Amino acid sequence: MGSLAIFAGGFGSGKSEVAVNFAIDMAKRSQKTILADLDLVNPFFASRDAKEKLINKNVRLVAPGGKLAFGDVPNLPTEIIALMKQDNDMLIDLAGDEVGSLVIGYLSKLVIGRGNYEFYLVINPYRPFAGELESIKELRQLLEKAGLIKFTGIISNPNMVEETNLDLVLKGHRRVVEFAGELELPVKYLTVEERVYNCLPHEYHNIAKIIELYLRPGWLLGSGGGM
Amino acid sequence: MNKVLMKGNEALAEGAILAGCRGFFGYPITPSSEIAEYMARKLPKIGGIFVQAESELAAINMVYGGASTGTRVMTASSGPGLSLKQEGISFISEAELPCLIVNISRGGPGLGGIQPSQGDYFQATRGGGHGDYHTMVLAPASTQEMMDFAILGYELADRYRIPVVIMAEGTLGNLMEPVIVRDEVTNFVEKPWAISGCQGRKPNIVNTLHLTAEELEGRNRHLFSKYEDIQMNEKRAETFMVEDADIVVVAFGLLARVIKRSVIDARKHGVKAGLIRPMTLWPFPDEHIKAVTDTCKVILSMEISMGQMIQDIRLAAEGRVPVEFYGRIGFLPNPEELTREILAVAERKGL
Repeated sequence: MGSLAIFAGGFGSGKSEVAVNFAIDMAKRSQKTILADLDLVNPFFASRDAKEKLINKNVRLVAPGGKLAFGDVPNLPTEIIALMKQDNDMLIDLAGDEVGSLVIGYLSKLVIGRGNYEFYLVINPYRPFAGELESIKELRQLLEKAGLIKFTGIISNPNMVEETNLDLVLKGHRRVVEFAGELELPVKYLTVEERVYNCLPHEYHNIAKIIELYLRPGWLLGSGGGM
Repeated sequence: MNKVLMKGNEALAEGAILAGCRGFFGYPITPSSEIAEYMARKLPKIGGIFVQAESELAAINMVYGGASTGTRVMTASSGPGLSLKQEGISFISEAELPCLIVNISRGGPGLGGIQPSQGDYFQATRGGGHGDYHTMVLAPASTQEMMDFAILGYELADRYRIPVVIMAEGTLGNLMEPVIVRDEVTNFVEKPWAISGCQGRKPNIVNTLHLTAEELEGRNRHLFSKYEDIQMNEKRAETFMVEDADIVVVAFGLLARVIKRSVIDARKHGVKAGLIRPMTLWPFPDEHIKAVTDTCKVILSMEISMGQMIQDIRLAAEGRVPVEFYGRIGFLPNPEELTREILAVAERKGL
């Protein structure tokens, strides 16, 4: 049985973007990389938007497809059940907030059956509610209870999209580290764009991971927030 | 300066709360549901009321009731839900009650799809329900404006005692951008008309039934004198590079922001393009359109619909320049596609 990584987090925490990047990275080492987009909540800006890019990078995407990509109905791709029982390297992009708990509850036995897994909580402290420890605790409890599995670590993803800079990343990351202490979970990664990575102090390099924004519409990049 | 990374829908909801909104009544529908979710999470903690009603009809009538007490209240939905709410909006308009009504638009007609759309332009700007009336309609283009227009919307609603509609494409409702969180609104106008307990004064009555023809006509004339004031004072538009433009694109919402890119790109190709972005769809900023008819050679209406705003543009242009159209349904076109279209129109017109 190969590896399994599950990415959960508050609505809009950046978990889809992180999952897409981790999947592309995994595909460099594994011929059997699968990214399962199980985001039932909202089809706008979901992992499946990066379909072409993922296919080009040798990642198999399992997601509501065809007409149902914009179906607006809770829809899990059925092949996920079989694929969970097969030998592959699987990454799961879980729906945000409480709806994610339905999905992880449903898959719980299969996750446990695979043995080893990573269950990441993705946090961007600049999102509403994610700046409050109570909200994060609530989400954690909900998902752990439903899935009967424990989080194995936190992915710190402090960003303001185009307006992200080093100062903002470091301040946000410190906040995440504080939360991690309270939650008694290790911070396993700090995800940043390459331009920020290049100016990160050395001490962060052991956990820093470069991500590309695959799901961000091109027309926003560099256009500034205004108009 | 407090900046938060927000989805358009969240920014709008937070803006409404900052503006003093203490009542949300709605029925969920994609792509607007994050507004209800945000309100459900926050309003009960600050002394507000959140009700997920049994239907859109119930929700809009709760807004009717809530607004008549003078409280800042709102509802949010998308096309099919807005259609159901039209009867109530007609009543609220005649009763002259301020409130915020949000349409995070999806493609129609019918159940349509949840992809972005601007096809509810007619419904929003022509009243939408029965009888002679208008609502004010604001069209934000960024996540920041989702917050700012919610605040502005309540201000206008109270000032003119009118329902204010905010209309944004589903994509904008779901787009995340950094937002400067504004200060809480502390200045509110007096509402001597509100049904707020009549100790020491005569009871206020909210009623939309007028049995005599004289009274009915009088009410309509009253409403329309108010609409004239609004048309005089509240037209808003942003213009971009129109001064020397041969081709002026008119577009609203997030689409207008994408087109800003295309205007710059078209200029790189030697075509002098410009952009007018109506920020109020009603009152429609016709003076902004009229002003460019002396200098430009063609106007191009770009919409995510089969062509609705183009009628208002043509009325404003008074036949002085030709008005062309380019539309998509269910897609937010990318800047490359829009640039190609601007260049094609320029070539057809020999620019």
